This record gives sequence, structure tokens and C-alpha cells, in this order.
Amino acid sequence: MLGLDNAALEFRQIARRFTSPDGIPYLALIDVNLTVRAGRFVSVVGPSGCGKSTLLNLAAGLMRPSEGSVSLFGQELGGINRRAAYMFQQDALLPWKTVLDNVALGLEFRGKTRAAARAEADGWLHRVGLDGFGGSFPYQLSGGMRKRAAMAQCWITGPDIVLMDEPFAALDVHTRLRMQQEILGLWAETGKTVLFVTHDLEEAIAMSDEVAVLAAGPGSRIVARHTVDMPRPRDLLDIRTQPRFLELYKSIWADLRAQVLRSYERG
Amino acid sequence: MSAAKGTPTAIRMGQAALGLGLLTAWETGSRTGAIDKFFFSQPSEIGRRLWQWLATGSIWRHLGTTLAEAALAFAIGVGLGIVFGFLLARMPRVAALLDPYIRIANALPRVVLAPIFLLWFGLGIWSKVALGVTVVFFIVFFNTWQGVREADPIVINNARMLGASESQLIRHVLIPSALSWIFSSLHISIGFAMIAVVVGEYLGSSRGVGYLIAQAEGVFDTTGVFAGMAVLASVVLIIGAGVNRLERWLLRWKPQRDVTAAY
Repeated sequence: MLGLDNAALEFRQIARRFTSPDGIPYLALIDVNLTVRAGRFVSVVGPSGCGKSTLLNLAAGLMRPSEGSVSLFGQELGGINRRAAYMFQQDALLPWKTVLDNVALGLEFRGKTRAAARAEADGWLHRVGLDGFGGSFPYQLSGGMRKRAAMAQCWITGPDIVLMDEPFAALDVHTRLRMQQEILGLWAETGKTVLFVTHDLEEAIAMSDEVAVLAAGPGSRIVARHTVDMPRPRDLLDIRTQPRFLELYKSIWADLRAQVLRSYERG
Repeated sequence: MSAAKGTPTAIRMGQAALGLGLLTAWETGSRTGAIDKFFFSQPSEIGRRLWQWLATGSIWRHLGTTLAEAALAFAIGVGLGIVFGFLLARMPRVAALLDPYIRIANALPRVVLAPIFLLWFGLGIWSKVALGVTVVFFIVFFNTWQGVREADPIVINNARMLGASESQLIRHVLIPSALSWIFSSLHISIGFAMIAVVVGEYLGSSRGVGYLIAQAEGVFDTTGVFAGMAVLASVVLIIGAGVNRLERWLLRWKPQRDVTAAY
């Protein structure tokens, strides 16, 4: 179980402080230790404002820890994480580029010619079901379609790790279910490591191999880790009614519930 | 100007009627003596003068000079404004250091610089270009600065994660993001560039539409003054329409605004 040699991402003794514009210090994370093994789908759940996004930003290298270190396949991360892709909660497509150019962007940044990048992006549009929308601008697409485009934009560069920050929070329930299923499909095909952040426990259990519970802020830390020992491939339409799912839900919710109550008390 | 596309016919008719009505009132007023022709001239006289200028071709030399000055002032001012706007937005410390001096420079009424520029750059076109640049630069500079700072941090982070270098970030994210701000400044700067060079010509030159107006004024030729104004207004309108088309094409990724709502 402690196969640290194949750790894709490792957070060690992380603390992260922020200073508000008024100069008031805020401690977001402290004593965070978390190992994400290569090829695993790991979710982090926690009440709102507990520092989930901060954790992802640290893994992405967009933010540096105040204390501790983040390792990437055994090497300390010093800048932007070049082996990771990041799916943001908000719309992050470049609004002035067509869907095709958005998807091709990562390849272009990596030095491919525009024609080659576009050809590859075309294949990805097909893969995420956006055939015929390559020439549209993001504002012309529905929320679900924009997420598909973002998915292709992330996955096309062939990252080893995919970081996802509540990517489906803004979608309606049914679109969301479809997108979750598609992400699982992509993940199964490509065998990447996924670090997934959400406040939705059902979503976390349904998709993950492991669920970590982050405490309410300030000063969040990982308070519990659970292994989701349910077989794959999973059918997300039915998984929620299976007895093992309910058992897991109950035991993880017991941990999460305490944190949610604490976050209420702190208003 | 940009609203014209969705303008209903009734409004178009109304606009034409309003213009015609005013011109007719002006014309009849000056013919009957209700309006003093000496001070206010007369539309038919102005039209005749414009026709004369066009027929003899005498206007082209002056208009060409004014346009060349304005174009140079515009190009140099826009270029410098965009470059400095970008630099300061990317270097907040330098921006903080320069802040009071930028404010002082911008607070200075540009017209008072005209005599100084005449001394420095002479009576030729460069004193007018310099005056135009001081006006255009600040408008474009402030808008670019603002536009770059307003760029969505999520989109910037996304581009970074996708592997953008600093120069790719500028090209693919910051410039397009600042473009709508830069365009709003271009609309204003075209008019201001014209005003600045015409004022410069007016204060001391040997050719240009400003010179033409100053000459006409010197001999109490109000018809000449009005004809000069008509030439300037038409030219600014035509250039503005060109900028509008360019803007519509470059900002085609933005959801269309409801233009009729402006009425």
C-alpha cells in the first residue's frame, strides 16, 4: 500500500498563508500530507473555503507553498508543473479563439505548427463530441459544450497528471452525469493520474479510487482518507444505489459532516 | 456610427428630416436677414465654396498635409501608448514609481505645448505631429494599461498551464484581451489627433486645413471657416467608420451587443 516509489504527486508538510489586501494574514493550509499514486483517481472533498483550490494551485505550480514541498514523480516542483493539465472551475477557454484553436493551443505552445496542431485538435473535437463546432467561438456554445472543449484542451497535450477543480459545478445534473462518465472513460483509456477537487461527496465516491477529506478552514489539513474499493468500469447511472456505495458514503460523510458543521460555526 | 446598422427606417427618415430642416432654416434665415450672413455665412455659400475647393483641387494639398500629420501623430501615439501600456502593466513596481509623473504629464493642457513645439520642431509638420502624439499617447496608454490589468487571471493561468511562454502569453492572451480597451481608445484618439494637428496648424503653419481656417478667419471669411469645419468633420467620420469595421472584425469573438438598446 505504501508504494511511495510510484507517487505521481506528493505534498509534504505543506503550509500556505495568504495576506489579504488589508494586511490581515490568513492560514489556508497547514500540515498537509498527501500522496497521489500514479494512475490513480484521487478526490479531495471538503466544505467550501477549506483550501481545496489552493491545493490544486500548489500542485499546478501556479502557487508556491509557504512551508513544505510538492514533489512531482520524486522531484521537487520549482515552477509551473509542465506534466500536469488543469481543468478550472470557471470558463478558462480563450474567448477570442475558436474552439478548434483553443483545443490546439497547448500543442502550438509546445512548438507544433499550426496546421499539425489543428489536425490533432480536430481528432479531439470528434472524441469529445464537438464535431462541427470547431469554428465556433466559446460564447456560442452551451456550458456543457464549453466543458467538453476544456476537456479536450487539457487532454490533448498528453499530461501525466490532470488536476480538476470542481469542473462540473456549474452544469445541470444530467449534463454533469454525462460529463463525469466521459471523464471516467477518458481516464480509463489513458491511465493518467487525476487529482479531483469537489464539495460533492457522491461525485467523489462515484469517480475515485481514493477520497481524502480536508478540514474546514482556516488551517485546513487532511483529516481522513478512504479507499473506494468498488469495481471498474463503473456505471455512474446505477452506482449510487449500490449497497457498498451507501456504506462508503456513510463512513466518509461521518468525517465530512463534522467539518461542514465546523465551517457553519465559523460562518 | 456603429448604431446605424440596426437603425429602423423611421429613425433614418427622422435624422434626414432634422438635418434638412436645420439647413433650410439656416438658409432661409440668412436670406431673409434674420441671421447675419457675415457672422454665420449660409449653407449654399459653404456648399459652393466646398465645390470650388474640390473643382480646383486646392483643398487636396491642405487636406493631404493635415491627414499626413494626423496619421503620423496617430501611428506614433498609438504605437508608443500600446508599448508603454504593456510595459507598465507588466511591471507594477516601475508603474508605481512613475505614477505621479504620468499624472502630472497628463494633467498638462496639451494646447500650451503648441508654442514650445513650434520652437523645437519649427513651422513644418513635425511640430503638429508632436502635439498630436502627446494627446493620442495618453489616451491609448491608459486604456492599454487598464486592458492588460483587467485580463482574466483564470484565462492567464490556463494559458500558463498549457505551456505558454511570456511572449506567447502576451500574443495569445494579453493583446487580444486588451484589444477592446485599445479600440475604444482608438475611436477617441482619431478625433483628438485631428483636433491637435489642426490646432497646431492654426497657431503657426504654411499649409493644412487648420491654416486654411486661420487664413479665412483673418479676413473675416466665415464661409471659409465653416467649409473647413465641414471638411474636417467628414474626414473624421469616414475614418471612424473604417475603424468600426476593423473593430467588428477583430472583436467578432464577442457576443453581439444589442445596438438598438442604445436608443
